[in-house]
Amino acid sequence: MTYILNRLLSIVLTLFLISVITFGVTNILPGDVATMIMGTQSNPAALAGLRESLGLNDPVIMRYGRWIGGLLTGDWGHSLVFKQPIAELLIQKIKASSLIVIMSMVIALACAVPLGVWAAVHRNRWQDTVSSSSALLGISLPDFFWGIVMILLFARTLGWFPSSGFADPAQEFGRALMHAFLPALALGLGLMAHLTRMTRSTMTGILEQEFIRVSRAKGLAERTVVWRYALANAIGPVMTVAGLQVGYLFGSIIVVETLFNYTGMGWLTYQALLNRDVPLIQATVFVIAAVVMLTNLIVDLLYLLVDPRIRLG
Amino acid sequence: MLDRKSETLNTASNHSAQPLVSVENLRVEFDTDDGIVVGVENVSFSIMPGETVCVVGESGSGKSVTSLSLMRLVEFGGGRITKGSLRFNRASGEMMDVVHADTALMQEIRGNEIGMIFQEPMTSLNPVFTIERQLTDGLRIHKGLSQEAARAMALELLKSVRIPEPERRLKQYPHELSGGMRQRVVIAMAMACEPRLLIADEPTTALDVTIQAEILALIDRLKRENGMAVLFITHDMAVVAQMADRVVVMYRGNVVEQGTVDQIFETPREEYTRALLAAVPKLGEMRGKAAPEPMRILGAEPTPPIQPSVAQDLDREVLLNVKNLTTRFPVKGGVLRRTVANVHAVEDVSFSLKVGETLSLVGETGCGKSSCGRSILRLIEAYTGEIWLDGQDIRKLGATELRQARRNMQMIFQDPFASLNPFRRLQDQVAEPLLNFHLTSGRELEDRVAHLFDRVELPRSFLRRYPHELSGGQRQRVAIARAIATNPKLIVADEAVSALDVSVQAQVLNLLMELQADLGLSFLFISHDMAVVERVSHSVGVMYLGRIVELGPRQAVFEDPRHPYTKSLMLAVPIADPRQRRMHENLKFKPVPSPIFPLGHEPERSAYDEVAPGHYVLRPS
Repeated sequence: MTYILNRLLSIVLTLFLISVITFGVTNILPGDVATMIMGTQSNPAALAGLRESLGLNDPVIMRYGRWIGGLLTGDWGHSLVFKQPIAELLIQKIKASSLIVIMSMVIALACAVPLGVWAAVHRNRWQDTVSSSSALLGISLPDFFWGIVMILLFARTLGWFPSSGFADPAQEFGRALMHAFLPALALGLGLMAHLTRMTRSTMTGILEQEFIRVSRAKGLAERTVVWRYALANAIGPVMTVAGLQVGYLFGSIIVVETLFNYTGMGWLTYQALLNRDVPLIQATVFVIAAVVMLTNLIVDLLYLLVDPRIRLG
Repeated sequence: MLDRKSETLNTASNHSAQPLVSVENLRVEFDTDDGIVVGVENVSFSIMPGETVCVVGESGSGKSVTSLSLMRLVEFGGGRITKGSLRFNRASGEMMDVVHADTALMQEIRGNEIGMIFQEPMTSLNPVFTIERQLTDGLRIHKGLSQEAARAMALELLKSVRIPEPERRLKQYPHELSGGMRQRVVIAMAMACEPRLLIADEPTTALDVTIQAEILALIDRLKRENGMAVLFITHDMAVVAQMADRVVVMYRGNVVEQGTVDQIFETPREEYTRALLAAVPKLGEMRGKAAPEPMRILGAEPTPPIQPSVAQDLDREVLLNVKNLTTRFPVKGGVLRRTVANVHAVEDVSFSLKVGETLSLVGETGCGKSSCGRSILRLIEAYTGEIWLDGQDIRKLGATELRQARRNMQMIFQDPFASLNPFRRLQDQVAEPLLNFHLTSGRELEDRVAHLFDRVELPRSFLRRYPHELSGGQRQRVAIARAIATNPKLIVADEAVSALDVSVQAQVLNLLMELQADLGLSFLFISHDMAVVERVSHSVGVMYLGRIVELGPRQAVFEDPRHPYTKSLMLAVPIADPRQRRMHENLKFKPVPSPIFPLGHEPERSAYDEVAPGHYVLRPS
């Protein structure tokens, strides 16, 4: 219980710091909201009027207070580019991005764990070399490269999946999955490579432990020893690393979503940055940070379920 | 104590029976990067039903490889059985050869007909499964028991290994149990299916001596009650003397000698066995002797023989005087990581050490002996107390003065693998303290380092080598050379020989005693090994729960122990003599209470009774 309270407290603190930083940085950027709205050629008097009415002449502290107050009360302001309430926009895009992030995570874990275990069991033999070198290949090449390869292979040549676009999972789930699949795969490959290496090294360490020898000495089948007794110990560390990679995924979706023209958070952030849509930039950065931290909290709580040693601590 | 006569009869009657296990010409190879390495070769011995056979040897002797081969577990470590046979008499009466058994048959035999216990109780249990699950899985596979039946059986097993509150243990996870309890669970696991053979691979090496005594008695009792045979792997001759019916001595992958326990201990035929036995200190063999004595090393009489440091000389100058030393470690907790309690590691400890003498602090895990040594060198900061070394209170020194004072106080650590920097040449590591204190440089420095190497009997060709090229004993010699480089007055040796094989241990102990005689060094010798302490010390302090419970001249403490803890410690130490078996049936040592106290808790001062001149015993509070 104290542990969870501790974690929540540190999350609140971190979010506060992030809000200060995002607000601070966007304030330093040249060109203010009033100029964005009215354009650079506009009448200076009207511009000054708009500044005054938007409260842009108030001290930084007051503007920050207004912004954070709005965030907390659900008033996230309007996007300058999309002419829509930001809250509404974000909810819609988060749904889209969550779909590919979750899918890529599932794809990555589903391949990485067996591959990593397989490599660890056959350590220093050809199986290990195959697994390690493919993991190295996956890590070395950036995800937009995999994205291009996939568009060429699965969309252009084979025609199995659409090369771009987006469908709302709430309305057409099947089509949404089809659209999400290639971006998810492109994202998942790098992640999978990383997790395979992680699983391999964790499992290698565990397979050398005395309790594994004890399990074998009890007469348990090798399958049980590896896939149940050893893996139960490896899954915690692997999950933690996977959780930390969610942050990396949210960074990568900017490139991958733009490449696949998939209109999610990444695409939105890119548009916001491109058009200096200050309120939207602030909100997206803040939301991405919050999502990343929440996922890590969830992962750590799951770890509690898996590993009894931390439960008491 | 076992009835020796009936036991001999028992063994004799077994000779007509068929052996349970017979190992013949076993050869195991390992594939390494440097080609094939032979683990064991030409190993043959047999185990009769109901008999305890001890395989004894130093590290690298192949004793574990042999036991793992019997279970065909050696393959998981990269080994291959390339020659010989391992015949096992199954419960059905059928003889089988383990070497040629297939995977399914081996899985049927492992844990069912042959049970195995390993060395590390802390890592022998799967940390993420409950005790119940780990106790029942074997039963469910081999005996086909239902979950309820298996649980009932597990409970019985926990009772038979005498674990307190067995019902509660079933639901617990390994980390919630102490080392001794975990080893009991591991034994219960190995015993679950009532195997005909129990292989115990160093089952007590990682345990404290009182827990070791309990575990040994437990294995002995279970063996007698179930009539199972035990293959006991150990490096400890004292344990062999206590447990074995027959002994197999191994050296570098070969069987050197085998015979009954009496034969091996009383009339060993081979030179190696004799040397091994000679190097083992026996508790009680220093009775009637006032001064420490060098260890016996066969074949390598030191020339000239070490002049043992003379008997306690009451006129000698005091070098180190520790007064009311107390060390506490904060326990952090809560949201703000504040100190919520204190571990009372060292509690009001006082003693003095004279020039040229050895004072040993002896005690079990967590008694505060290492914390005490480190507090004296200020590697950790004490809470209160005075540490007078050569007229200076070490605790009152500022950073610069402390650095200068460290010239006079050096330390030798337990693990010579971890205490040397793997990236630096040995000569540079020994030269470091000399450079650090600007004592010498250039040509002179090189000469000094070379002399230090001579002093610790390391060849000069080692000067330019790196730590990984040396054996454990050689590395410990380097650590000693480094410690004596600055001509210190005090050396704190924290379990300095515990990680070494017994023959190497004897050599290093002799080196330390020789250096003491030549250089007038004072040693604060921290150890858990009562027999070694008896051999090397002038005075002894027995520590328990942070306090010295008994302090005095070695002879007084060992020959006339007064404090109940000292007595139980003496009782628990196995003696390397099969005629002095002390397998007590109902050994029940009190578990050590927690040293964690709430903030602001001020325990009573230590008060002592002087029962004889210089012999102090802690007054019960």
